[in-house]
Amino acid sequence: MKANSPWLRFTFVVACCIVVMLPLWWAAASALRPSDEVFRYLSPISIWTLIPREWTLSNFIALSQGPFARAMINSALVTTLTVVIGLVVCATAAFALAVLEYPGRSVIFAIMVVSFLIPFDSIAVPLSELFRSLELQNSYAGLILPGIGNGLAVFMLRQFFMAIPKELSEAAKIDGLGWGGIFLRIYLPLSRPALIGAGLILFVFQWQAYLWPLLIAPNPDYHVASVAIASFAGQYDVDYGQMFGGAVVTALLPMAILLIFQRYFIASLASSGSKE
Amino acid sequence: MAVVGRGRNGPRWGDALRSGSLGTALLFLAPALVAVVILRIWPAGLALWQSLHEPAAAPGFANLGFGNYTYLLSDPVFIESLTTTFLFLIIVNPVQIGLALLLALAMDKALPAAGLWRTLMLLPVAVPQSVSAIILGVAFRPDGPVNALLATIGIPPQGFMTSTNQALITIIMIVSWVGVGYWMTFLLAGLRDIPPILYEAAEIDGANGWQRFWHVTLPQLRRTLTFVLVANTVANFLVFAPVQILTKGGPQGSTNLIMNEIYTRGFLSGDMSGAAAATVILVALVIVVVGIQFRMMTERAKS
Repeated sequence: MKANSPWLRFTFVVACCIVVMLPLWWAAASALRPSDEVFRYLSPISIWTLIPREWTLSNFIALSQGPFARAMINSALVTTLTVVIGLVVCATAAFALAVLEYPGRSVIFAIMVVSFLIPFDSIAVPLSELFRSLELQNSYAGLILPGIGNGLAVFMLRQFFMAIPKELSEAAKIDGLGWGGIFLRIYLPLSRPALIGAGLILFVFQWQAYLWPLLIAPNPDYHVASVAIASFAGQYDVDYGQMFGGAVVTALLPMAILLIFQRYFIASLASSGSKE
Repeated sequence: MAVVGRGRNGPRWGDALRSGSLGTALLFLAPALVAVVILRIWPAGLALWQSLHEPAAAPGFANLGFGNYTYLLSDPVFIESLTTTFLFLIIVNPVQIGLALLLALAMDKALPAAGLWRTLMLLPVAVPQSVSAIILGVAFRPDGPVNALLATIGIPPQGFMTSTNQALITIIMIVSWVGVGYWMTFLLAGLRDIPPILYEAAEIDGANGWQRFWHVTLPQLRRTLTFVLVANTVANFLVFAPVQILTKGGPQGSTNLIMNEIYTRGFLSGDMSGAAAATVILVALVIVVVGIQFRMMTERAKS
């Protein structure tokens, strides 16, 4: 079925890629044309549907002066802090689950991974009540906290740590290094690829978050990009040019990061899913 | 995986306490344990407590105990959201996994510029669901480019999200735009793990392409496929952004998936105890699916 028709395979793959890329291309083209021309070149469909006839940056300029700029800064801040704090939380936990020995370790591992596997969004509504009673609504802490513990990242880092030979930490212990030193000086430097993979998991989770920021940060001052984008759609008089501009900006940054670190992302998916 | 007593060689409580390794471990585990308790276990418990201790929003139901559940399960809106969610899952999972598998099979063998196509398919993973909903939502407007495209091949304009019959399908297309490439990545990794010698042996036995797929690829890929199915089911249980942004559950409840129902109930209708009961039902469903997933993960770790 596969081998005998390379052309069929090729056509299918390229067709799928076109279907996937077309909406993004169209959004980018629409962001670069004057706002009132977004729907102009649709019928009949022509090359001008996909290429702006008149190029302009006015949508992006308007965005940079409006509330969307604030939302982008919020998103960048919240996501960066999530990745940094989340890596500390997940890496220390993974270290305790992979390297340290104590009774009940596998029980703690099971509880931790199973609870983290309960998808965050499914308990977002009761959690938002809890956060409200702690006065964490409309705050960066409220936005960041849910992203820092990630079962997939813990699981992935643990797998990686377990593959590091025990002889290394035993030798270090003889030389007088404590567990903290072993973690910082041996395990972390050796785990850069796994840390990048885990960082990407935390990044994608937080950058994509929509339900939680919607629940916990209704104040526009604390809107993140994904929520600010949606508020365009809710407006009575939608500025489609700006809406597409915002969509393109919100999509491009994570895409660029994913492009750069692609192999770590794929490796982290593979280790969490199909392979051991 | 041995869960509790680790046998003769495992550390004992006494040893652990004496050597201080338990304290060290707790120190390393503390942040993550606090996060698990506050961010997962506590809210799940809170929802359960609320659903059992707060009176139902409608009169005529018991104030304590299962009042919220009998109220929910007798509310046609909630029942419809459950059936819509199951209908959605029954369509979206095979569509996404089938397409992802076809793509992975097509990409598994040598292909010109293979890396480029794989990257292009994976890229939408980075796009937030709210953004893909916005872009594709405009594309699927009755006066949008999809209908313009259909017009060029002579198909009359479709209602898409404005039609009760087509709205759910449109949401499925929107979420699949991201999903297919994502699951393809897993399946591709699974295909790469199949030892080539199995294919060579099948070829020597005279198996044709279809037989090789049926007798070698599928059985070898079973674990990956099951994992993808389970993980995809969990993800699709929670689809929210496209529904909330584009249809708000309509027209006529045809896209009212369970997450939207919980959100609407709790935050727009102010029925927090009903939302809590619905959350408990959702978490219970997800735990069953996640339980299967975890079993498979630990089985894999064992082998």
